[in-house]
Amino acid sequence: MGISRRNFLIRSAALAGAAVVGSITKVRAGQTPDSRGEGYGVLIDTTFCNGCRKCEWACNEWNKNPNQPIKAYENKSVFETYRRTHAHTFTVVNRFINPLNAEPVYVKKQCMHCQDPACVSACFVEAFTKTGRGAVIYNPDVCVGCRYCMIACPFDIPAYEYHEPVSPGVTKCTLCYDRIRRDGGLPACVEVCPTETLRFGPRKELIAVAHERIRNNLKKYVDYVYGEHEVGGTSWLYLSAVPFEEIGLRQDLGTRPIPDTGKGFMFMVKVLEIVAAWPLVFAAFHAIARLRKKNADTRVSADDKNAEEHDRKS
Amino acid sequence: MKERAVYKRILYFSIILAFFGAALFVVLTGDTYSREETKTHDGKPEDRLIIAHADIFGRLERPGVLFDHGLHVEASEKESCDTCHPGTDDGNLIFAFPFRLMDRNREHVMDGFHKKCIGCHNRMTEAKKKAGPVRCGECHAEEKHSLRTVYPRVDFDFTTHEKHVRSLQKRCILCHHSYNEELVYEEGTEQSCYYCHDAQEQRGPSLAEETKLTLAKGLSIRNVSHARCVNCHLDRAKEGAKAGPVACAQCHTGRYRTIEELSKVSRPDRDQPETHLIHSENGRMKGVQFDHAFHEKNTPHCRCCHHETLRACRECHGPKGSSKGAWISAAHAYHDIFSGYSCAGCHNARKADTQCAGCHHHLTGLDMQKKGQQREYCGVCHSGKREVPVQTGMRALSELTPEKVPEKVTVNVLEKEYEPAVFPHLRIIRKLAAISNESKMASYFHQDVRTLCRGCHHRSDAGAEAARNKPPYCRNCHSVTFDPKDMNRPRLLAVYHRQCMACHEKMKIRAVGCEDCHKAKKTGPDDIF
Repeated sequence: MGISRRNFLIRSAALAGAAVVGSITKVRAGQTPDSRGEGYGVLIDTTFCNGCRKCEWACNEWNKNPNQPIKAYENKSVFETYRRTHAHTFTVVNRFINPLNAEPVYVKKQCMHCQDPACVSACFVEAFTKTGRGAVIYNPDVCVGCRYCMIACPFDIPAYEYHEPVSPGVTKCTLCYDRIRRDGGLPACVEVCPTETLRFGPRKELIAVAHERIRNNLKKYVDYVYGEHEVGGTSWLYLSAVPFEEIGLRQDLGTRPIPDTGKGFMFMVKVLEIVAAWPLVFAAFHAIARLRKKNADTRVSADDKNAEEHDRKS
Repeated sequence: MKERAVYKRILYFSIILAFFGAALFVVLTGDTYSREETKTHDGKPEDRLIIAHADIFGRLERPGVLFDHGLHVEASEKESCDTCHPGTDDGNLIFAFPFRLMDRNREHVMDGFHKKCIGCHNRMTEAKKKAGPVRCGECHAEEKHSLRTVYPRVDFDFTTHEKHVRSLQKRCILCHHSYNEELVYEEGTEQSCYYCHDAQEQRGPSLAEETKLTLAKGLSIRNVSHARCVNCHLDRAKEGAKAGPVACAQCHTGRYRTIEELSKVSRPDRDQPETHLIHSENGRMKGVQFDHAFHEKNTPHCRCCHHETLRACRECHGPKGSSKGAWISAAHAYHDIFSGYSCAGCHNARKADTQCAGCHHHLTGLDMQKKGQQREYCGVCHSGKREVPVQTGMRALSELTPEKVPEKVTVNVLEKEYEPAVFPHLRIIRKLAAISNESKMASYFHQDVRTLCRGCHHRSDAGAEAARNKPPYCRNCHSVTFDPKDMNRPRLLAVYHRQCMACHEKMKIRAVGCEDCHKAKKTGPDDIF
């Protein structure tokens, strides 16, 4: 046995201490930004969008993604298939058909920047951060490429650079954090939108504006602001004249933040680690010791048996 | 060794469990997906129908039966309809088949069908005649289980009514009646059948007794019109007089006459006024002159406005509302913009027409409840005059001179990226004026040419406008950058795109591409970031 009883006790205590500290920091990282205000957000009024896709162009331009000349974005044939975000496409506009009057409805899709994001809680290296301004941003330096965030996201947003052989990373919309961190800065898509389908502002104000629009335009909108309560609230909010299922926005997500679903269980695991780890460890040692003793005994008895046999033969 | 055996056992057990799980999954999902989608009956007008009665039987054990009524009529030509449809004492036929369908009992209905159909088919076979099937699967054919027969609704419009009035020599009693413990007829009280017999609509307290009775007795509009119309047609045919059709597809044509076609026939005469001044004794507003005759010609049915009775609106909708009119006051009855029966509602619906929607899509409906409503709008209807105004198109069109109204407006908010857009201001106003003058309704409400300005120059301050004698510019309210004070007020760039493009889209004007309005500059716009 290469480890003394004293050393073992010291190391176990150190491990348990680390676990406790780790759990505290985890709780801090998963905190909702409510304590710091709700941050900024963007209101998308789908009734104004005419599908010009300037937002896609501006997004690619600002984020240095592979881009095409602005003229190429006038091509409407891309709407024939439903598109999603990719490694180098942080936002896409999709076309749906209004079932009431068969007119097209254009809906922009990007990271929703949840108030209590699932990706933040799923990441065990803390590569994601929910900033006080509302943006959920990603740190490629610590990412280990596990892609848990992609599974955790209820909106299917984070994408992975599969084509990158050496240092692939996760990519998604950053709410142009590098632009909005300065006062008066706007996300590139909001700045370029010619019909002001997108409106940037403090999230609380945007919710008030959205409800005001619903009230002032009787029967124009569905009386619901998508993102106000979804998975605990999102920074991007949607208004629509057609039911949200018809335009590809899931209504079955519930209002409970995704991290909450696992929080209780994770806490229980931590408690068990601290409370039940000691008896378990001791029991294991006891079992090992007993087994060894038993093995030693059987070996001895086997040796005796062999000796007897040998005696008989000789 | 022993442990290994245990592991093996667990492994086998889990494999078997997985297998069972998979089998269960296949069985469960297989059942869900095996149901076919329903196909509609795509046949030509034929007298065929599906007998299924899911309302009585619930989930059907066997597929419904495709019944060829036309074939049965042909086959039993020598016999009369009462072979299948029993007659009542007064000689009328009951078209429910079998007769016991009325008591809606599973067993009775099933037995009724089986005894009637199979019995008759057996008799035919015994008589050595061509007969229908008798075995289960031959009627309840699996391959027809997804068929549905849908007959289009019959629209008993004014043309058909006129035809009946003429050929029946104004004997209204043949169809119309009212109910007062028994069916009675009183001249001058004729109403639409739908008021009492349409179970789909929720009717008010004045019709409570009648609708309860018709619902309990199964006297839906479908049943009573089949009983009344077909019986009458059969009787007249028997008498040798000119009779209407009996076969399904002859009434259920699926063709409906348009307003234009209907406007040529004369309306049912029920002593209705030509014109009428709608006003109340102590009303705050002046009376509204209402051209009843003109509105008659613009609606397919009386019940488009008179939704429960053919009496005057005020009889149920008093100045304060009453239980009789579902507590809807007269003011609301006329002004509710979302009701299909009110003046404002009907007029509001017309604003969705292609010609009108360009301006009206963004203008909110005239809301009586709104504070600070401009009185000039109310005065258009509330004139207090009894005589019908003679419409001569829009007034003061001559005002539209290039000196007063700019001929062209150059918009250059996007001058960095695009050449300026030239907006043919005067030409557009002239075009809108022409559109407005084509329609009687539009020219009545747009009497002053300034009303047209509101299509784009909305929400202006009337006082300021009068002082300058000019509607405000877009940039007076909409700033170039985002307005931080009013989150609901879009910036200048956005309002041009919203207003212009939405109008083009609503009016189906094809120019909605970027370069239809502003030409691209030679140098690229790619460096705005």
